[in-house]
Amino acid sequence: MGAEVQIEASNSKATAARQRLLLRGESVVASAGIALAALLLVAMAASAWWIHVSQRGTIETTRAAQAQTGGDQLARATEVLLSRDELSAVRTLVANAGRAWNFSECQIVLPDGQVLASMDAARITAKRLPETWPAGQQPEASRGNEHGIVRVACPMDITGKGHATLQITAPVNYGSWSDWQMQAGIGGIGAIALFALLLIYRRMRGRLRALGAIREALLLAGGGSASPQALALSTELGPEARAWNDVVADIEKLRRQNVADRVKETLGQRHEVRNELESVCDALAQGLLLIDDRNHIRYANGAAAVLLRAKREDLLGGDVSKFIEVDSVLEAVREVAGGAARKRFTLDVERQEDGANGVLRFAVRPVRRDDKASAMLTIEDITQQRVAEEARHSFVAQATHELRTPLTNIRLYVETAIEEGENNPATRARCLNVINGEARRLERIVGEMLSVAEIEAGSFKLNQDDVRIEAVFAELQADFQQQAEEKKIALKFNLPPKLPQVRGDRDKIVLALHNLVGNALKYTPDGGKVSVGLDAGDGQLAVHVKDTGFGISRDDQEKVFERFYRANDPRVAKITGTGLGLTLAREVARLHGGDITIDSELNRGSTFTFVMPVMAKAA
Amino acid sequence: MKITEQRQGAVLVLKPEGPLTGPDVPVLKQRLIDTLAASLGRFVVDMSAVPFVDSGGLEALLDVTEEMNKGGQILRLCAANKTIREVLDLTDLSAQFDHFEDSNTAVRSFL
Repeated sequence: MGAEVQIEASNSKATAARQRLLLRGESVVASAGIALAALLLVAMAASAWWIHVSQRGTIETTRAAQAQTGGDQLARATEVLLSRDELSAVRTLVANAGRAWNFSECQIVLPDGQVLASMDAARITAKRLPETWPAGQQPEASRGNEHGIVRVACPMDITGKGHATLQITAPVNYGSWSDWQMQAGIGGIGAIALFALLLIYRRMRGRLRALGAIREALLLAGGGSASPQALALSTELGPEARAWNDVVADIEKLRRQNVADRVKETLGQRHEVRNELESVCDALAQGLLLIDDRNHIRYANGAAAVLLRAKREDLLGGDVSKFIEVDSVLEAVREVAGGAARKRFTLDVERQEDGANGVLRFAVRPVRRDDKASAMLTIEDITQQRVAEEARHSFVAQATHELRTPLTNIRLYVETAIEEGENNPATRARCLNVINGEARRLERIVGEMLSVAEIEAGSFKLNQDDVRIEAVFAELQADFQQQAEEKKIALKFNLPPKLPQVRGDRDKIVLALHNLVGNALKYTPDGGKVSVGLDAGDGQLAVHVKDTGFGISRDDQEKVFERFYRANDPRVAKITGTGLGLTLAREVARLHGGDITIDSELNRGSTFTFVMPVMAKAA
Repeated sequence: MKITEQRQGAVLVLKPEGPLTGPDVPVLKQRLIDTLAASLGRFVVDMSAVPFVDSGGLEALLDVTEEMNKGGQILRLCAANKTIREVLDLTDLSAQFDHFEDSNTAVRSFL
């Protein structure tokens, strides 16, 4: 662990050092400058040495040539003088010539080795010319130099005498003064060259620093630690550095743009998901509220705003008690949202709306969210369900009563017939007649209930046939005459002499008209009048059923056609009925392409008009 | 434009009479918007007495159903004649409304 830390520390030091160097921009330039200077110095030293060596060679060669030339001339001159036996002149000439040419040694040597003439008189071994010239072979010319000394041997051929050799030894003067001068010159040139290099280096330094820095940055980028701050160069390094910085900035911008795009894409997807959820919640007909532990509304769907009659933006973030004034609901919300209760509450709340009662069902459910308790409140408008439920309850009560009445009558008359009818045919006949009537009433009630069920199921259909209206009215008359007489009601059928034939469902038309006439008798007090009229014209048949009964208030006139509805009249409440008759009658009329209308006045009586086309092709 | 109201249970049936065109359009639209607010959406438009609808009328009905969509509801029409149903089909707007054969069926749909 410690080692890793040390390595990291040393790495960071190295990076820092590299960055410092990078900011100076000298790393490459400095080393290149030093290398160039060293190369220059080495080259100059090598040049100086080479010049020195070749100059010495040249001096030696020149000296040797000089000695050779002088030796040859001296040899030719002394050959002439010796052939004339002028030894002293020869010796003088040799001594003078040797000194003149700055020879260290100049002597004429005979083949036997005796020195005939020399610069140094002490070296002369032959006092005079030999009488007999020593024999010997023609000596060879030679030239050589060693350790700063040039040796030259010039062969001599003395006419009439023989051979001899002129030996010359000459020191080589390398001229120390000129050597120093040359080295000083080279040094000067070197200094000038170095100075020029410095000047060029200074000029190039700016650009080279930038290039070096770019190289360092590239190495750094290749190493993987390429943060844009680390890659940026000092703008002092010139236009190249600025261009590099622009490139790095562009790349960084692109990278950020890329990241931003990806983030946007991801957020967009989340947003879409959120939008989808919101759309789903908004499609709910039930109001939906999410309430936090401080009783603030965190979410509300569109239906919630409608049901609470508030604006959605006002709901969001608002206190729930501002929008719901029902204490029991608020109490439940507080308990659940505060985490005090984990159970579920369902509360039906009635409220007054535009004169009619509405019923809202509030359901409170606990929701766990971000480790905080909160409550989900759903609101449902169940007014119509409640109305339907009440109507059904009422129907069940009425239907039970309606069914029980004929059943009770049947049971009583059966008992009477059994007890008394055996011996009394008149009583038996009366009983059977009543039983028959009650059985038909039961059949009709059951038929009505089945028809309503068919209407509910959408299977209430007509069985079309030709219907003779006079037969229908004859049946009605037969059915109701007795009932009218019992209530002392004057029941009249005002029918034209000729009745049309219509196309329709006979049983259902009878059902509809039976209901209308039955209602008229039912809701007309004793001693009243009921008249049934018929108009046939304009291609339609209109049956009017007019009574002098209770009449129907204006508010109730349309409602009486609703299923299970019974008018809000205390007189009506005393009379049994299912609340289905008019619903069925209107349904029958409409299926035949007609309708039933009401013209009524409270306490004065009503007129129901059943209209249908004569040749109905409906449904 | 005459608009009769009939309450069936907790549902209000609005029955406009006459063609839904021109100056009648804003009248009906305002009535529907008011009814929407008052009845919490428990209403039906009985189209049996409307012979035809122009583009402005369609637009008004669309505006109302869109307003109702915000509360998760949809405008219920009933007894529209063949002409109006064809117009709705041709303009691909049928799906924007719930259509019923008659008002009773429409009222029952609230159960």
